[in-house]
Amino acid sequence: MTALAEFRSVSFAYPRGTGGRPPFELRELSLTLEPGEVLGLIGPNAAGKTTVIRLLSRVLQPSSGTIVIDGQPASGLDRAAVARRIAVVPQDVPQGFPYTVEQLVLMGRFPHAPARFFESRADLLIAREAMALTDVEALAAEPLERLSGGERQRVVLARALAQQPRLLVLDEPTAHLDLRYQAECVALLRRLHRDEGLGILLISHDLNLAAEVSDRLLLLAGGRAVTSGPPHEVLQAPVLEAVYGCRVAVDKHSATGRPTVSVVWPEGR
Amino acid sequence: MTSLITALALVALLPVSSWGLEVVDQVGRTLTLPAPPQRIVSLVPSTTEVLYAIGAQDLLVGVTDFCDYPPEARRKPHVGDMLSPNLETLVTLKPDLVVATREGNRKETFDQLDRLGIPVYLVDPITVRDVLKLITDLGELTHHREGARAVTHDLERRIAAVRDRVAGRPRPRVLYVLWPEPLIVPGRGALVTELITLAGGDSVTADLGQGYPRLSLEAAVGHKPEVIILARHGSRGGATVREQWQRLESMPAVKSGRLYTADGDLMHRYGPRMVVGLETLARLIHPEAFGQSEAARRGAAR
Amino acid sequence: MTSRARLAWICGGLAAVLIAVALGSLLVGAAPVPPRAVLDLIAGRGPSGGTDRAVVLSIRLPRIAAAVLAGGALAVAGAGFQALTRNPLAEPSILGVSGGAAFGVVVAQVSGLGQGVVDALGLAAFGFAGAVAAGLAVYLIASSGAGLPVHTLLLAGVIVGIFFSASITVLISIVDANRLGGVIYWLLGSVAPIPPGQLVIFTLVTAVGVWLVLGQARALNLLALGEEGATELGVDALGLKRRIFMGAALLTGTVVAFVGPIGFVGLIVPQAFRMLLGPDNRVLVPAALLGGGAFLLAADTLARTVVAPAELSVGVLTSFCGAPVFIWLLRSRVARVEP
Repeated sequence: MTALAEFRSVSFAYPRGTGGRPPFELRELSLTLEPGEVLGLIGPNAAGKTTVIRLLSRVLQPSSGTIVIDGQPASGLDRAAVARRIAVVPQDVPQGFPYTVEQLVLMGRFPHAPARFFESRADLLIAREAMALTDVEALAAEPLERLSGGERQRVVLARALAQQPRLLVLDEPTAHLDLRYQAECVALLRRLHRDEGLGILLISHDLNLAAEVSDRLLLLAGGRAVTSGPPHEVLQAPVLEAVYGCRVAVDKHSATGRPTVSVVWPEGR
Repeated sequence: MTSLITALALVALLPVSSWGLEVVDQVGRTLTLPAPPQRIVSLVPSTTEVLYAIGAQDLLVGVTDFCDYPPEARRKPHVGDMLSPNLETLVTLKPDLVVATREGNRKETFDQLDRLGIPVYLVDPITVRDVLKLITDLGELTHHREGARAVTHDLERRIAAVRDRVAGRPRPRVLYVLWPEPLIVPGRGALVTELITLAGGDSVTADLGQGYPRLSLEAAVGHKPEVIILARHGSRGGATVREQWQRLESMPAVKSGRLYTADGDLMHRYGPRMVVGLETLARLIHPEAFGQSEAARRGAAR
Repeated sequence: MTSRARLAWICGGLAAVLIAVALGSLLVGAAPVPPRAVLDLIAGRGPSGGTDRAVVLSIRLPRIAAAVLAGGALAVAGAGFQALTRNPLAEPSILGVSGGAAFGVVVAQVSGLGQGVVDALGLAAFGFAGAVAAGLAVYLIASSGAGLPVHTLLLAGVIVGIFFSASITVLISIVDANRLGGVIYWLLGSVAPIPPGQLVIFTLVTAVGVWLVLGQARALNLLALGEEGATELGVDALGLKRRIFMGAALLTGTVVAFVGPIGFVGLIVPQAFRMLLGPDNRVLVPAALLGGGAFLLAADTLARTVVAPAELSVGVLTSFCGAPVFIWLLRSRVARVEP
């Protein structure tokens, strides 16, 4: 079975800015995403997680190495073709975004027919289905500015689903959400994964969420892959302490049996 | 045979105007008019003055807001200002000729009139000689040759009279101030420069540039003018401007009290009144030639 | 209602308004032309010569055409530029292009180039050259290896605009006093009847500019997600930005070259329509085209009739009339949206 996405020894450096700050780099990163699996990408800040997303969605081009999407080299695919396979779910829409829910979800149909001026009837139906999946159909005519954080989260997810992708990429989906919405988000993701068979690439600094939802974890630090595998293998105290630079305790979740990570808070010094 | 020759000779002598009038305006453009103009719109105040002076005012059907001399001219229909005359009003007057100038009217206006099929006669007088020719030409154009001749003779006589009076006298350095702030003075090609020369003076700004260039106050002072003449435009500005210049005591003109104001319209309109401007300038520059006492001179300067 | 139907209704309504304003404009003016005569002339009947014909067909009609084109072009340029920069305060003049065009025309007027009385296209050509120079300068300054960052584009536009403004001021300060009046009059901005040949060129260039903006209206909507967000949906963000910039610059430069600098239309017309019709550029751009034309035409008609036979500068009217309407819209909208 062809992998949904592959990175083969991909390196990337941002163009050198002024001031002599060393450019961020990804060094020879290789990863594979199988269809229908949930891969959690974890690691400290500036580990390169967001860069991976940008490379996947072709916002950036790799300096060396190849990215393969759905069996084809990404460089041979135009942006719309990539967008038909991979949907990136942002944390939120930009400040002052003026469109309504339905208008935003319909934007997800763009990659399927970029030359069309207006969306087709089929596009409208697909958008409606996507909104139903994330339970925002009732909000269709609302401008996004009026919605709560949790509702907006579901709306951007609906837009990604309207793209009918095979791979869903989520960048910190639960940041800024309170507990209730975090739980809703996880339930939604699980349902989508199970019912629609979507592959999911999840980036989260919340290790416990990642552990809970993912089939596999990939730990990144300093632009390199440190380790990958099932959550209980990756989330080991020694590795985590080395990468994050603080003391942690790894336990087992009482209800689900998945590993949980907690920080050992230092004494004030 | 003789009768044939006579007939041919007569044909050869037929005036060209049977087939239309060919006229060359002051910038060298050739206009073909179907008949001598009967309805003239003047977009140039000095032309309006000339038309009245030569007796052709009945042909004048439209003037600008600035055509204020003679006072009767104000009662003619107005088409607006010089920069943007109202085309609709103009067209409604059904003119068969429009007189305009490149200095004061806009090229866009001529283009519009061309497109509307209205002939435009451009005037462009620079020297005194040009003004006299303009009067003659306009007399020719409006079939008022006699009136034009009378005007030009009178002007030439008065100019000669001034020249004779000031002949042989030393020429004082004269500074003419068209506008005080920014300081605008007459240069080459400005009518008033020539008038100053004819009036027996030497304009210190004669070589400064074309038309009416700017000058810094320091440079003006540096020329050490012996006579300063401040132009008055309308009824405003006379007293305050004088006071400001009165304070520049280093200048010979101010020290000797030879700081005057004069009516600007007389010096800048290319019409018959320029000779009044000439006479005014001569009286200010060479009062002794006109037998004027100090007090009378001051009075003439207001 | 489908989007297509909504667009058709809106365009139909605005077109009707435009035609009504145009008709009204044909009927009024400094010359007393009876309404019956106006209607006859438009219908093709009526005398083949005479004052009425000259006034209606050679003075009013070309001026109306110029006003409609200029207003529509400026409004579309404003809409495109506001979407491109995601900034509702963006006005076409910020592009720097109108400063360049104005400079070109002022140079021509001051130096006496293109002064042949028959050479009518001269001034517009100079204006256009100035616009192109300014547009290129802005583009080159703002272009970096990474693309065309929007904030750099805005800054570059402002700086280039200031540069040309200052240059114009220098020219004004040294020009012969006689020429000054004409230059300043032009700089105030006024609509004048344009000859048919130029009108055709004006229309064609405007059509190209509108196509550049409208043709990518759907992708332009996606730009509201941010450039990264739009790229993730398959939009070629850099290509789109270049195209919209070119379109807006072309439209703005053309208007200034043919008609002179007219401000405010490019800011308030798209903003007002955005408040009334929503942010979808597929509806907004056509609405701006028709509505901008009607707006400037109405303003120009007032400008030439309110104090006839004298005329007000149209820029004065667009500001004075547009500002209160805009403030009212703004306040009513704010009242609705406040939580």
